[in-house]
Amino acid sequence: MERAHTICQDGVSSGGVLAHLERLEAQVNKSHKKSEELQSAQAEESALETKIHQLRHIRDKLRAEVKQRQARANASSANVEPDQTVEISEQDVLERKQENMKAILQAYHFTGLSGKVTSRGVCVCISTAFEGNLLDSYFVDLVIQKPLQIHHHSIPVFIPLEKIAAKYLQTDIQHFLFSLCEYLNAYSGRKYQADQLQSDFAALLTGPLQRNPLCNLLSFTYKVDLGDRSFPFCARLLYKDLTRTLPTDVTVTYQGMEALSTAWEKHRASHETLFCTVPLHRVFASFSREGEKLDLSLS
Amino acid sequence: MDAQRAEVRALEAEIAALQRACEELPAPWEGTARVRKSFQETHQSDSKRWESSKDLKSHLGHLKSELSFLSTLTGFNIRNYTKQTEDLAKTEMTEEGIKKVLQRHRLSGNCHMVTFQLEFQILEIQTKENLSSVITDLNIIMEPTEYLELSEFVSRAEERRDLFMFFRSLHFFVEWYEYRKRTFKHFKDKYPDTVHLSEGSCSSCMEIHSARRPGFELVIVWRIQMDEEGKVSPKLDLLTKVPGRALELDRNRVIETAPQNFRTLLGVLGIEAALESLIKLLCAEND
Repeated sequence: MERAHTICQDGVSSGGVLAHLERLEAQVNKSHKKSEELQSAQAEESALETKIHQLRHIRDKLRAEVKQRQARANASSANVEPDQTVEISEQDVLERKQENMKAILQAYHFTGLSGKVTSRGVCVCISTAFEGNLLDSYFVDLVIQKPLQIHHHSIPVFIPLEKIAAKYLQTDIQHFLFSLCEYLNAYSGRKYQADQLQSDFAALLTGPLQRNPLCNLLSFTYKVDLGDRSFPFCARLLYKDLTRTLPTDVTVTYQGMEALSTAWEKHRASHETLFCTVPLHRVFASFSREGEKLDLSLS
Repeated sequence: MDAQRAEVRALEAEIAALQRACEELPAPWEGTARVRKSFQETHQSDSKRWESSKDLKSHLGHLKSELSFLSTLTGFNIRNYTKQTEDLAKTEMTEEGIKKVLQRHRLSGNCHMVTFQLEFQILEIQTKENLSSVITDLNIIMEPTEYLELSEFVSRAEERRDLFMFFRSLHFFVEWYEYRKRTFKHFKDKYPDTVHLSEGSCSSCMEIHSARRPGFELVIVWRIQMDEEGKVSPKLDLLTKVPGRALELDRNRVIETAPQNFRTLLGVLGIEAALESLIKLLCAEND
């Protein structure tokens, strides 16, 4: 500290005062620091308090839940009137069995094919899903008589039900049902992709998505932006195989005025391949992600 | 503050232990967790419903026949099923009006000679507008494991969490498998000296050779394929083994083009007739 030296050279013994001042300054700094620390500690403390509060709340809820479940589990082995003991335990076993069977009956839904016996025959329920998303269910009410007949159903009119029935219903009912499953699941999957495209990626489309009820013919225009240039494309997807969720024929055409550069021609071709191999909404998800990547790869 | 941090840690540990305890204790069957009856209540109301255990037994009989019917209808025999429901609102801070329920299912059974064990999770999210159910995890164990085509297919189904595709494709696979077995057995029974199934009727190869034509052997390889979308289709190939001398005499290259021609033959005659015509080639002098 220069000041201290200058003053000392004068011979005045105020090194003591300065030292005192220095000590005071240090003390002030220290107390400032302390108060800051104290403030942040207090803030942390109050945050911890809130967290403890929340955790206590969750813990109390869980304690109550466990208690309830424990009570139920204990009740099952609780003492019963002595004279009813024998009867009830047989009933107990039978009821357990009943619960188990009912559960297994319900579980058949998870195979995608389930049914309930009716007075006339059987009502079959077909469930559909796509990529883990559980979608619509359909039913077919069959009358058991010779010949087997479809009483009524909720199958959409554009699914070739009569064709499949004519082929399999009388000879192999399992084949009929699983074949119907194939068609319905594929339809559900195509519909899901088209719906997702319309709802989540409308920003990338430059016009409305044209689709037919069977969702096996889709036509749309989209653009890929690169800086200030916009590359418009038109895509036509045809799903000839109604038991598939991916198209069989894809055409992507460039809609701009000028001719397409070779780099962009490669892109156009790669888009065609993408639409053939990847579900529609996921192709567009990759488009929106790669928007920035394209900027870097092409100059 | 250390005391507070210690309390937070203790609370978190307690919550984790309570969650584990919750999982181990049976959850109610009903998905709507609000409806809870203690076992005694359920028990008492049921015992009022059943006049005697005779009624219960007959009801059980009905259930059993329904199950047997479903098993025949679908081709799947489900032996065991358990379900656990976890109301996520208890452990997650969810917004107002959104209900999240995680269901854990365990299912096991068989489809003809294949036994399966599945564990999957379904997340149900209920908002004011709609209810969505998504399969968030799928684990499949299948036996027997020597069907290579099946194991590849299983990992694809798990990856896609496509539960229904698994069952659908399993059905078609088993159908083709049984058909192949029946067909091979039929030909073995009809032409016992000419047709040989080295791995038994479950094998994927049928060898045709006869003592009357030593050195000549035709092998039909019949594979059951599954593509990425789970579609099952048969793939048949013909392998030939002929003595060197015969090859020299074969100026029309019949042997060389045999595999190709076999595929054409399949398309024209269908599997059974095509196989029979090949068998007849090598046992022309039998009866």
